[in-house]
Amino acid sequence: MNVIECKDLEKLYFRKRVLNNLSFSIEENKITGLIGRNGAGKTTLLKIIAGYIKETNGDINVFSERPFNSLNVSVNSIFVDDHMSFPPALQLGEILEEAGRFYPNWNAKLAKRLFDYFRFDEKGYHNRLSKGKTSTFNMIIGLASRCPLTIFDEPTTGMDEAVRKDFYRALLKDYIAYPRTIIISSHHVNEIEDLLEDVLLIHDGKKLLHLPIGELKEWAIAIKGDSETVVKFIEGKEVLYKNEVGVNTMYVVVKQDSPGSLKEKAHLAGVEVVSVPSSDLFVYLTTDAKGGIDDVFKNN
Amino acid sequence: MNYYILHYNSNALYQKGARAILNTNSTKPIYVQIAEWIESEILNNHFQANQKVYSQYQLAEMYTINPATAAKGLNLLVDENILFKKRGLGMFVTDEAKEIILNKRKNQTLKRLVQELVLEAKRLQMNKQELIEMIQEANDEEVGP
Amino acid sequence: MMSLKTTNLIETVKNQYFFKLKANIDSFSSLVGIQILAILFSLGGVGSSGMGGAEISVNVKHYSSDMIFVFTLIWSFITAVTITTRPYRNHDFSFVSNRLSSSLSNILFLGTASLLGGVTCILSGNLVEIIANVFLNQQVYSLTGGASHIILGIMITFFYLFLFSAIGYLVGTLVQVSKLFVIVLPVLFIGLLFLEASTSREPFLSNLFQFFAMEPNISLFIVKMVLTSVALFTVSLSILNRLEVRR
Repeated sequence: MNVIECKDLEKLYFRKRVLNNLSFSIEENKITGLIGRNGAGKTTLLKIIAGYIKETNGDINVFSERPFNSLNVSVNSIFVDDHMSFPPALQLGEILEEAGRFYPNWNAKLAKRLFDYFRFDEKGYHNRLSKGKTSTFNMIIGLASRCPLTIFDEPTTGMDEAVRKDFYRALLKDYIAYPRTIIISSHHVNEIEDLLEDVLLIHDGKKLLHLPIGELKEWAIAIKGDSETVVKFIEGKEVLYKNEVGVNTMYVVVKQDSPGSLKEKAHLAGVEVVSVPSSDLFVYLTTDAKGGIDDVFKNN
Repeated sequence: MNYYILHYNSNALYQKGARAILNTNSTKPIYVQIAEWIESEILNNHFQANQKVYSQYQLAEMYTINPATAAKGLNLLVDENILFKKRGLGMFVTDEAKEIILNKRKNQTLKRLVQELVLEAKRLQMNKQELIEMIQEANDEEVGP
Repeated sequence: MMSLKTTNLIETVKNQYFFKLKANIDSFSSLVGIQILAILFSLGGVGSSGMGGAEISVNVKHYSSDMIFVFTLIWSFITAVTITTRPYRNHDFSFVSNRLSSSLSNILFLGTASLLGGVTCILSGNLVEIIANVFLNQQVYSLTGGASHIILGIMITFFYLFLFSAIGYLVGTLVQVSKLFVIVLPVLFIGLLFLEASTSREPFLSNLFQFFAMEPNISLFIVKMVLTSVALFTVSLSILNRLEVRR
C-alpha cells in the first residue's frame, strides 16, 4: 500500500517554483531519507504532506486523502521539526498529557521513560528549553505518538552527538517493535544512512533519485590514481566529480553501470577504488560545477 | 522464550560495540559486511548446521541498521545456499554451509588477495622469486615450517 | 503498520476545547485583573448630587458597573483577536486538528470565556456596592437586586461579550489575511464615527448600536445577538479554512 502518492506536484511561493513537477510514492512501513540541498524544497514538501500548506498544482494523497484539512491524515501523522510549538502556559508534563489525549496510539510509558532518560523536568516549560533539549523533547513526542506516518524534519538540530546516537537507536528500536512509515530529512546524511531503507533525493524541487539505499551506494564509485591511467580508465563513463590531487594524481567519481562492474577492471588497470561517502555523492549529483568549490578559485 | 533470550544478547552485543565491526568507509556495502560476518560465525562454529541464525530484526538491533538492509544480507546467503528459510521460523544454516564458505573464501577472497599481492609486487618491481620467498617467510612465522 | 485510526470532528473539537481551556488560562487571569482594575475605578462613583435644607443635607453618590462592563467587553474583543494569531493557530497543529475543528473549538472557548466574563461582570457590580457599604460606610440604596435580575444580567452580558468576541475573531482573521487591515479597519471605524458626527445623513453606527441595545423584547434581542454572532463567526471560519499554517 502506498502511504503517500504524489503526482506532478507544484508549489509556488510568490512566483518562485519551489516544487516543480514532483512525482513519487512512498510505501508503507519503510524508513525513507529525504535528502537535498538547502532550499531544494524538502521542508515545503513535508509541510504539504502534513497538511500545513496547500499545493499549487498537482495531486498529493496521504492515506488516499488530500492532506490539507483532513482530520484522518492529521490523526495518523505527526510532523516533528524544531518549530513545533506548544502553548507557553503548559508545562512539559502537561504537553505529554495533551498529546496522549489527541493521539490514539500514544504510549505514555515510552514517553515517560524517554522523558526521564533525557532528564526533563515535568514542571519545566517548552519555551525555556535550549535548542538541543527542544529537539529532544519534540523527538519524544514524535516517537511516543506512534503515528502510522511519522515525519522528522531536521530532528537533530542542536543535539550533541551522544543524544543524536540515542535518538537514532530509539527510533530504530521503536520502529522494529511498532513498524510505521517514517520520513527523515537530515543534513547528517552519513549518520542516518544506516537507518534508511530508501532515499528520496530532491533537487530544485524535482525528484532526482528515489532508490533503496543499497542501490544508491553502488550507484557510483571513486577512482584514484595516476592521472594518465585514470583518464584512460574513465573514458566513456559518466563523470560526476573530478579533482587533481598533487602533481600527477587524480580523484574521479564515476557512475557504475552495474554494481561492482568497475571494481574488478580498476584493479587490473592499476587504479585504486575508493568508496564514495553518500553525503559526497549527493553533493556531486546536485552541483553543476564538476570541480566543486575549487572551480571558483581556478585561475583560468 | 527463545526470542527473549536472543533479544537480551543483541542488546549486550550492541553495548560491547558490535557497531565497531561494521566499516562504513569500506567499498563493501553494509549488507555484504553483515553476510560476511555471519559466514565467519559459521566458520568458527558459533552456528552449527541446521541451527537458527539471527533474524533481520536482531541484526538490525545489534548493528543499529535498518532491518531491510540486514534482510538483504541474509538473502544474499540464502542465494548462495549458505542459509535456508523455514517459513515462519526464520533463517537456518544449511548442511553444506561451512563447505561453501570455505570454498568461496579460498576461490574468491583469497584468490583476490593473491592477485592484489602479485599486482603490488609487480608495481614494486619485485620478481617472482622474491615474492615466493616473502610468502614462505610469512608462512613459516604464522604456521610453522 | 500501526493500525490506521479514524477520528471525527466532534471528538477532535472536544479534545481541542479542553486543551484550549488549559492552554489559555492566562486569558482568565487577565479577566480577573482587568475587572479588579475596573472595580477600583468604579469606586470613585459616576456622579453625585446634593441637596440641602434647613436641618438636613443629603448627598447622593451614584455608582455604576458600566466601567466593569466596558472593560470586560474590551477584554473579550482582545482575547478573540489573540487566538487568531499565528502562534495560537500553530499550536493546534502540533496535535490533531484541521482548520474547522480549530475554529469550532475556539468558538466554544470564547463562549465559555464570555459566560465566565458575564458572571464575574455582574458579580463585580455587586461587589462595588458591597465595598461601598462595608468599607466606605455608605448607606446603599440599590437599584439592582433579586436573583432573576442577576441571571438576566448575566445572560445579557454573556451575549454582548459573545458578540464582541465574534467581532474580535473576525478582525483578527482579517488581519491574518493581510496586515493592511491593521490600518484599514481602525481608519474605517474612526472615520465612520467622524463622518456621522459631522454630517446630517442617516447615522449608521448609532443606528446599529440602537438596533441591539435598545431592543425591549428579550427573545428578539437574543435572536439578534445569536444570529449576528453566528454570521460573523461563519465569515471568519470560511476565511480561516483556507489559510496555510506555516509553522
